Amino acid sequence: MNLRELQVVAACLASRFGASTVFPLLQQQLDKSVEFSTPVTSYRSLQEGVFLLRNDFPLYSGGVVHHPPLLVAFMSSFNSTNLISLLYACADALIAYQLISMAKCFRNSPLPAWVPGAVYVINPLVLLSSVSKSSVVFSNLAISTALLSALQGNCTLASVSIAIAAYLALYPLLLLMPMLAILQKDKLKTVVVTAATLAMLLFSSYKVNDESWNYLFSTYGVIITFSKIIPNLGLWWYFFVELFEMFIPFFKAVFNLFVISCILPFSLRFYKQPFYAFILCLSWITLTKSYPTLGDGGFLLSFVPFFKPLFGYFRYSVISTLLFIHVSVLSPIFYHLWVDLGSGNSNFFYAISLVYALGLATVLVDLVWAMLRIEYDKGKPNIKLKLTPV
Amino acid sequence: MRSLAGAFFWIVLFCAVITATTSIDEDLNIPNEAETAGNAYQTCSAECLSSASEEISTDGLELTDEEIKVASMGNTSDSLSLYESSESIKYPFHEQLTLRPLPRSFMFASFEFLMRSNNFTVGEKESDFNAYRHYTVFPKSLSPLLEYTQTRQLHLRFTHGRWDSESWGQLPHEGRKSGGTGVELWAVIEAGSKDDAFHNWISLANSLSGLFCSSINFITAEKTTYPTSYSPLSDESSLPIFNTSNSLFLIRAALANEPICTENLTPFLKLLPTRGRTGISSLLDGHKLFDSNWQSLSLDVETHCNAGKCQYHMEQFIEMVFNVPNSLARADTPIPKPVQESELRCDPTKPHDAWQCFPLPQSRDTKFRLSKLFGRKIIGSSLISEYPSKVCANVTDSWKVFIDVNDALFSTEDNCFTIKYDNEHDLHIESTDTSNVVEPEPIPLFVSRSLTGYGQDSGGLRTVFRNPSNETVEASYFETLPWYMRIYLSSLTMESVDGLEIEDVIQNTYYLPAVDRQRPTHLNFKLLIPPNTSLALSYQFDKALLKYAEYPPDANHGFEIESAVVTVTRPISYELRTSTLLLSLSTPDFSMPYNVIILTSTVMGLAFGTLFNLMVKKLITVEEADSRSSSSTSLKAKLAGILGKIMRTSRKVDVEKKHQ
Repeated sequence: MNLRELQVVAACLASRFGASTVFPLLQQQLDKSVEFSTPVTSYRSLQEGVFLLRNDFPLYSGGVVHHPPLLVAFMSSFNSTNLISLLYACADALIAYQLISMAKCFRNSPLPAWVPGAVYVINPLVLLSSVSKSSVVFSNLAISTALLSALQGNCTLASVSIAIAAYLALYPLLLLMPMLAILQKDKLKTVVVTAATLAMLLFSSYKVNDESWNYLFSTYGVIITFSKIIPNLGLWWYFFVELFEMFIPFFKAVFNLFVISCILPFSLRFYKQPFYAFILCLSWITLTKSYPTLGDGGFLLSFVPFFKPLFGYFRYSVISTLLFIHVSVLSPIFYHLWVDLGSGNSNFFYAISLVYALGLATVLVDLVWAMLRIEYDKGKPNIKLKLTPV
Repeated sequence: MRSLAGAFFWIVLFCAVITATTSIDEDLNIPNEAETAGNAYQTCSAECLSSASEEISTDGLELTDEEIKVASMGNTSDSLSLYESSESIKYPFHEQLTLRPLPRSFMFASFEFLMRSNNFTVGEKESDFNAYRHYTVFPKSLSPLLEYTQTRQLHLRFTHGRWDSESWGQLPHEGRKSGGTGVELWAVIEAGSKDDAFHNWISLANSLSGLFCSSINFITAEKTTYPTSYSPLSDESSLPIFNTSNSLFLIRAALANEPICTENLTPFLKLLPTRGRTGISSLLDGHKLFDSNWQSLSLDVETHCNAGKCQYHMEQFIEMVFNVPNSLARADTPIPKPVQESELRCDPTKPHDAWQCFPLPQSRDTKFRLSKLFGRKIIGSSLISEYPSKVCANVTDSWKVFIDVNDALFSTEDNCFTIKYDNEHDLHIESTDTSNVVEPEPIPLFVSRSLTGYGQDSGGLRTVFRNPSNETVEASYFETLPWYMRIYLSSLTMESVDGLEIEDVIQNTYYLPAVDRQRPTHLNFKLLIPPNTSLALSYQFDKALLKYAEYPPDANHGFEIESAVVTVTRPISYELRTSTLLLSLSTPDFSMPYNVIILTSTVMGLAFGTLFNLMVKKLITVEEADSRSSSSTSLKAKLAGILGKIMRTSRKVDVEKKHQ
């Protein structure tokens, strides 16, 4: 680890921790904004869980707690706010460090290794998400740990991390499939270790939660059935608010299948570029999950520097940049117009959530296109050549 | 054939009446009954037999107490002259009207009706073969309902308006007879399990809904709570359990958005044996009652058992607070008009002419009649009850109260009047100093609750408690919140100028979080509030978005949140409710369903379709693609080829023509 890399990690730690301590009210403000907090990731719901746990109230008998029991129990061991801020800052700094380590795994990388880390550190979406103390940080940490250890060939750590990520946020379980492609060998072992870890986590949660399985619905059931309808940047919320009652179960199944739909195709089609397939799957999940936040999107965008050789092939880079700027500027404004002022209606914010989905979709499409192009060019960029799919 | 069947039906009916009336002496075992009254019953039942035979064609089996009265009175000329007047028929019914002037020209009126049912035996069902039950003053409509749903206690409140406790003092009956704004219902139900109890509760609510013409049927699991400690249950030990394997469940629900209106009063009066036609209930007119500043209708039924014989005790209260000058002015001019110049009372110390006038404060003299306040006179006494109807005025020396019988005024020492006969009565009330009223009883605790925050996605609840007394107040704070208020109990904070901590005040917390569409939040604090302090408890909540169809009509009006119940247990026993709240939720655009389905599906389809397209198709250069498309394999190429051929042939033809 050279000096520059150390600087990046230190900057990450300092910026997160500094922002939390210098602007203590920023956390509450961000935690209330729908862009950075959802019912299943918000810090206030985690705090409520800690409160209920400490006072022996029922944790998962209805109510607002949708975090897994072990996370709540873990957080209840911290008392000081500063310590918790430090914990979140450390988790974020660790992700930055892991991104740098990942860059080192690619020997013929055109960029210095510290660049992806630096991009992660200066990405405002990630910074704000971390300051809001959203539990997305922990699932992102688990995902990046899994990806790094898979790249390094550490099959046990990778499977344990992906199991933890799945335990925290459910959908990362789907990333097991592209991860198997990265690991190449010990596939059976990976699957078994992941399943065993997940089973162990679930069982210990059962024990922690007074021998009751009711946490399963409050944590994962809520994600799958989208039972807490609260506006977010995803595609689900307005659809299920406006949908006629009798079609809701059918469309919930359709939306869940939609999340799964592209995982296998990506893993198969880009079997030769497993890291790339992993990122594609991650972005597909970010696009289609039921409770997305900008924290997920920011985490995803930090992987884009890894694809520097593909940049030349991007067709919509201007459009997607504009779409992201459009979303980040207008989303708080339109939400405020709808909910606080009442001078706009829900369609304003709905439009923004569609734009965000379009932005993610253009990035995804561009990545796929660029990879197909470079495959055609057999690694030697020939940007002037015009290609078309038939 | 039909007439034969009809005749047979009437014969059966007649036999039923005979068997019923002959068994009347066993059933009519009313406690506290004078010996003479017992005799009267027997003669009455004999009379009923004869009268029933005449009246049966119109009334069938519905031998209500009134018919009994009519029969016994109508047949006094017959030879059975064991009694002279109807006064000797006594039923356990008691009614009283109490008037109490309040400060600032307000007047509190309380109509009290107490009645008891006849004894019935535990385990004997009404539907049993040869079971017979006689209803005297107890309403026939309630008893089967209570039996069917195994309800041992029933409490129903219809309340509307604001009780100004700062100037009016304590609520009547220590607050136990008035609910929060809207409808409040709670009952003690005997059942084997909670599910059975809930099932009975729902059927009770649905039946009451029909009985009282109100939307009590909107009570669902979403609104129902099972309070652990709630004042009516304090005397639980006295509640009978008919089947020892069962247990008792206290179930409660409130509908804050239910408007209270005339159609609720009529069924209330119908439960009375006098039906609002005689006695003090003849004063009650929907227009006047619901024109008052505060009104409350309450119904309480309790089961009391003694050695296998049980009895329902029922209390009905209709209470209201009028602004006397306003009500009198309304009686004179139903359509409000500006005061005539000649009637203006201007302050002579200030300039006044035809254009300007500084009005004097309201006159302290007053003189009015009850008939002007209520629009009616009292039509006689309730002649069937054990006690004659009573009218009492709770006033100070500066007030004079007279009763007007046949244009003659009478007064009494204690300002209580007994209405004995069936002629019209009126009350004449006058005062030289309306501000001199009976000292209101001090309030042990003031509680007010309000919503904080401005957004439609989150907010806070803030409850201010003020103990004005010199004694520590022990109270229980009970709150039910709908599931779409997602409360964060961890955000509970306390503000206090006296440096109190949460632990000093909240002794005990019961918290049952809400389950979406199934259960409301149930929050109960045991509080200990030190003397002469005030403190505010507040906590935050998020508002959920509802589904399209779950919003009521006029969704932007907001949702009524029912009042919290505060039960003071020490130093005195008192119950009060906070006012209801109006919670506004963010609403979707109700005209959008198809657009949303189409737009979201388009974006999803666009992403999926493009990716799928890229992944399954083969990449080739544009030139190659062009050359492929120009080959004859594709339909377009074929079409182009055919078109080209036609063009060429036509050109050939042209060329040939030219050649020619």
